[in-house]
Amino acid sequence: MSLPTLAAFAEEFTPATQAELARFMADNAASRQRVLYPVGGRTALHFGCPAVEPGVAISTAKLTNVIDYPARDMTVTVESGIRIDALNELLRQERQRLPIDIPQAHRATLGGIIACNAGGARRFGLGTLRDYIIGITAIDATGTPFKAGGRVVKNVAGYDLCKLLNGSLGTLGMITQVTLKLRPIPETTRWLWASFGSFQEIETTLEKLLLSATRPIAMEVLDPSAASEIAAEARTSLPTDGPLLGLAFEGGAHEVAWELDTVQGELKLRNPRQVVITPDAEADGLWNSLTEFELTAEEPLTFKANLLPSRTMEFLELATREQISVQAHAGNGIVIGHLPDRVTNAQTAAGLLTPLRRFVRQYHGNLTIVNSPETWKQDIPTWGEPEPSWPLMQRLKDQLDPQDLLNRGRFIFPAPIPMDRG
Amino acid sequence: MSVSTPAAPTFGHDVLRRLREIVGAEGLLSQREELLVYECDGYTIEKQVPDVVVFPTTTEQIVQIVKLCNELQLPFIPRGAGTSLAGGSLPVGGGVMIALTRMKQILEVNLRDRFAIVEPGLVNVHLTQRLKGTGYHYAPDPSSQGACTIGGNVATNSGGPHTLKYGVTVNHILGVEAVMPDGSVVTFGGPAEDTPGFDMTGLFVGNEGTFGICTKAWVRLTRDPAAYRTMLGIFETVEDATRTISNIIGAGIVPAALEMMDSGIIEAVEAAFHFGFPLDAGAVVLIEVDGLEVAVDQEAQTIMEICHSSGAREVRQANTPKERLLLWKCRKQAFGAIGRLSPSYCTQDGVVPRTKLPEILRLIIESGKRHNLRIVNVFHAGDGNIHPIILFDERDADQVQRVLHASDEILDACIELGGSVTGEHGIGVEKISFMSKLFTAADLATFLKVRLAFNPTGLCSPKKMLPTAGACGTEQPIVRTGVRAAM
Repeated sequence: MSLPTLAAFAEEFTPATQAELARFMADNAASRQRVLYPVGGRTALHFGCPAVEPGVAISTAKLTNVIDYPARDMTVTVESGIRIDALNELLRQERQRLPIDIPQAHRATLGGIIACNAGGARRFGLGTLRDYIIGITAIDATGTPFKAGGRVVKNVAGYDLCKLLNGSLGTLGMITQVTLKLRPIPETTRWLWASFGSFQEIETTLEKLLLSATRPIAMEVLDPSAASEIAAEARTSLPTDGPLLGLAFEGGAHEVAWELDTVQGELKLRNPRQVVITPDAEADGLWNSLTEFELTAEEPLTFKANLLPSRTMEFLELATREQISVQAHAGNGIVIGHLPDRVTNAQTAAGLLTPLRRFVRQYHGNLTIVNSPETWKQDIPTWGEPEPSWPLMQRLKDQLDPQDLLNRGRFIFPAPIPMDRG
Repeated sequence: MSVSTPAAPTFGHDVLRRLREIVGAEGLLSQREELLVYECDGYTIEKQVPDVVVFPTTTEQIVQIVKLCNELQLPFIPRGAGTSLAGGSLPVGGGVMIALTRMKQILEVNLRDRFAIVEPGLVNVHLTQRLKGTGYHYAPDPSSQGACTIGGNVATNSGGPHTLKYGVTVNHILGVEAVMPDGSVVTFGGPAEDTPGFDMTGLFVGNEGTFGICTKAWVRLTRDPAAYRTMLGIFETVEDATRTISNIIGAGIVPAALEMMDSGIIEAVEAAFHFGFPLDAGAVVLIEVDGLEVAVDQEAQTIMEICHSSGAREVRQANTPKERLLLWKCRKQAFGAIGRLSPSYCTQDGVVPRTKLPEILRLIIESGKRHNLRIVNVFHAGDGNIHPIILFDERDADQVQRVLHASDEILDACIELGGSVTGEHGIGVEKISFMSKLFTAADLATFLKVRLAFNPTGLCSPKKMLPTAGACGTEQPIVRTGVRAAM
């Protein structure tokens, strides 16, 4: 993974408390007005447009306090710098979890994953981060802390800034504290994989599964190259004799066993080439590899596309014709794709992506860049084609950070004009 | 009750003519007696007659109405079915009320991609009815779902009994088309997930009409559960019931619904529906689990064991789908049954951490005694979302005063216990004065900035949600406009 090499990160500030961070940001706004780059576990520095101005990286590394964990209420309030691994471990002791798949969990922080709206395969059955953040505290660019939501699971007082900050890439405020709604850890999680002759056969299968007697919590589709990479990483085996559909089930052992049985019966009618149930002992490793897929690749460029679920298999067909290896959260119409090694410059990459972007635009979607060499980002629109609501987002940004101090130039907003700034 | 607010300023004939040109003569009400229907919503303590009500049938008509309002500097406010219990559709700012009840089409149902596109005036339950037999449903089911509209649900981020497992409205809205306060039309999100940029859909839901007017919503459809087990736990005391609820959640079980009714409500509901509720019980808890047939029995069994070990007198199970539906009818129409107990009632909507339910219920009982008021309770216990219903006669000014005091006391207690003053009804006009108790001045200033990005002139739904003026940002004294009217 390439880190931004810019002077922007030459200087760093790691506050010990939220109050210290607020003071620092207030001083900055009142005096030097340097650009501030919020960082957590540094797992997503490649995400978004590269920083083009020097500034200060403000780190949440020391903001790791657990403020309150009333386990019987199934909520937890923590500071944003807590590592996802540490959070998971804390919750596991009470047999609870935040059911979001997070890559690099040993490094990623809660604040960071919220800023990037991270997530993976479980989103089909369990939703995304936005569904679990019930309270948030952030510090705006002037150093003023503000909060929204609260510590109860149901609350409609005030505007839902939890949603606004989730996925805002640190451009509206530095997230310092979060309250999450939690779920119990299920007794069992199992994966079943079926390979097919074509993506079209998988689409027909997905249509039938809409009325399956079972309730999968994840529906993944992989092309054979992604499947072998993920299987190797997880030290498990997956069929690679054709496009692969994976279904995950969670719940009581008895319930999941029934679902595996039932869905095999349903799949049989669709004539899969092979059906494999991942052994229990290998299931955790497989989840990890599936989750890490978007970050671990050595390939030159990784993109994320969103589109109608019903068009996702056509999209995969189009992409794999160019040897792009793909992972789709098929129930949600989300595709992660890695361009093949033969792509060595931005022009070739842009050439491959153009028809794909055109395709997703027809089906209400867009295509954004997850990771690529920084220099390519001048030629490839990192955030995809402009959406009709972007001007309104600009107005929100202008209201909350009028000096454009937070993550300047890294999000959807137009690249800054360097003069008189920094 | 007499309405002591000043008579609505007569709208110039010119304004009415221009509005009529947009919506037609049949799409406009301006006579005082016609407008009285719109003087309040489900929150009857405050009243204010709108100057004019228009009934657009298309987004384009709304655009023209909003542009006209901008040209003439007239405030405007959207209204769905008027079921808000917090004065969400009370036209406190005067001006043009835009009623969306004639925009009620289901524009598309797409089962493959699990969404539907609906107009804002569609009644919530009509979508459910339309989907019957498809294997899918629209999950948010407010108790008022037989009347309330999806546009109103989007504006207030409505909940309902099944939100415990399935989440509230915002968890089921994929996208929104809205007429902005300046008359432009913008779409946020849509049928594909993860539109790049901010989560504008998530921010828009729950805006209480202050960001613009929802004209179309893309809603997520949810797979029907394969099986249900619906139980009724019967308890000697409210304390036993709330302790049980706390124990169920504490054991890591998330039922589909967990609803409590106390003896006051049981009496009213039993008189109305003859379900066979035990009239001598202190409280009953309606518990529903759903899921696969192979799983629900085990889960129901565990819950019944917890009920018994927590002091339930008896646990009954609904044996047939008909019995289940009747049980739910009793629960959802409990508010209607209250008419048997009292001429008027005020439904409160507070939230506490679920383990604090026993405490807040105790405080509610004390508050009722202190103010000599009868308070009954029917609420979403699994979410910690209480709905104390204060019974009164609105013709008695002293009682109204006591109702307001008791309400304030209960909501203050919710805040003290770490909760909130509204779980699903919204701030509206009723709870504006609580915003500064829940939030700091900096929080409120941030909310205001967010509103200014959408609604810079403040003409759209003025004097709602935030205790500050919309446009210039100057502090306004906190006045509960219509409260005086009620006295």
